[in-house]
Amino acid sequence: MPDPAEGFFMSITRLNVCEIGVLLRGEREAMAAWMEQWNAERLRLHFLLVIGGAGFYGAAMGWWRAPEQALFTAIKFPLVISLTVTGNALINGMLAPLLGLNLSFRQSFSAVLMSFAVASAILGAFSPLMAFMVWNAPPLSPETLQGATYPLIKLANVAVIAFAGTTGNVRLFQLLVKLGGSRAVARRVLWVWLAVNLFLGSQLSWILRPFIGAPNLPVEFFRAAALRGNFYENIFQSWQQIFNN
Amino acid sequence: MNDQNPLPPVSAQLPPPIPPVLPAGQPRRLGDDPSERLAIPNVVVAIEAILRQPRRVMFQLRQPGAGHLIAMMLSLSVVCSLIYGVVVGTFSGGVQLWAAPVKIASGLMISALICLPSLYIFTCLSGSRARLVEIFGLLAGLLMLMTILLIGFAPVAWIFSQSTESLPWMGTLHLAFWFIATIFGLRFLEAGFSNSEARSRAGLNTWVVIFLLVAVQMTTALRPILGTADTILPTGKKFFLAHWGACLSAENNAPASRSRN
Repeated sequence: MPDPAEGFFMSITRLNVCEIGVLLRGEREAMAAWMEQWNAERLRLHFLLVIGGAGFYGAAMGWWRAPEQALFTAIKFPLVISLTVTGNALINGMLAPLLGLNLSFRQSFSAVLMSFAVASAILGAFSPLMAFMVWNAPPLSPETLQGATYPLIKLANVAVIAFAGTTGNVRLFQLLVKLGGSRAVARRVLWVWLAVNLFLGSQLSWILRPFIGAPNLPVEFFRAAALRGNFYENIFQSWQQIFNN
Repeated sequence: MNDQNPLPPVSAQLPPPIPPVLPAGQPRRLGDDPSERLAIPNVVVAIEAILRQPRRVMFQLRQPGAGHLIAMMLSLSVVCSLIYGVVVGTFSGGVQLWAAPVKIASGLMISALICLPSLYIFTCLSGSRARLVEIFGLLAGLLMLMTILLIGFAPVAWIFSQSTESLPWMGTLHLAFWFIATIFGLRFLEAGFSNSEARSRAGLNTWVVIFLLVAVQMTTALRPILGTADTILPTGKKFFLAHWGACLSAENNAPASRSRN
């Protein structure tokens, strides 16, 4: 009887890796054709891109704190993306037709996953650069937090993630225009999907924190208070602190 | 000279019928598109239709035997609101796991029932030719679309309910989801209304305000839905703004507690 794990890896080797180029170039005709039929192998390729791309980038990000943190972030970063895509699959699939774009659940799921796969591929490509940057930086310590290195690395991370996210969404927009035939409808659907994904994604990132890790706190997968409070409450409290001081 | 070309039969003289062309800007009539005439035999088709082909639902509501479709939509609304209610109940757990779903489902149905007569009156006053059964069907469609969307939001709501202890925060989140879902539901109702030859929308807009007020007051009348209390139903009467204000001030005094109305 074949081993399921072996079957999974066999199927990965059968994947057409050239399809990554199609995704990155945003070849709308090909991508629209992919969405017409449900292909489990292609779905696996896209998830694999998310796991690989975001995982490598996460490892580079966490490596500055400690090797264990690199491993944890390599697991958590793709997890945030995967959970956001699956957690919002229902509402994304419902909102698209209501906003004028007649997509099925599978199609909307595929479209969102493809945009995250593009972003993850970009993140993966930037991971050696981020690793190099971290390797050149002084070790993460309470003193480092005072200098220019910490803000620099933080900003570099923000810039790379923003670039990857923007590119993924530009590709998604082009695909939605192709599918819906109207820029106005595509823009409406894209903004709503963005809002919904950002809303859940922020909270999942909050639960799965830390990603870089603070030098004065132990390296751990979850913080002890992972499920206490939420991202938006924290922003609100910070806002209150600013005005109270 | 004899006529060598006798007149052909009358039927051969007539050109094939040309489908009526509506003037630009005039709305399409329900059922003009053949796909709108397809029956809605089961719940899955009903969900698909209300999301992708709302005009199909509107057309079917005008046909004889619309009662079956209405019953299906109402049943689905009850089931969906019960499921969403369980998600709401997970915030406090315990009794709320069954009390919240029951209160949400019954509150929604009672709100709809209370508002149905006024909806019919307002639509008639606006010049609409819709029958009561059609109005009832549109309201059932509103409820179904609203609760289906709530199910879509349920995974997000569950994640937040597991990661916060703040009652006002969760209350605001559920209200926001309910509000978004209601907007889409009302869009369906308005689309149905616009196909009923109504002269004005003023009546419907007034009704929308009434419906929203009744629904939010219902959350206070059936409190606690999110938090916990000594009794399952409230012992005193409160206006919803006073209730929400009380919840917010209680949160400021005891930030980590779920035990309040």
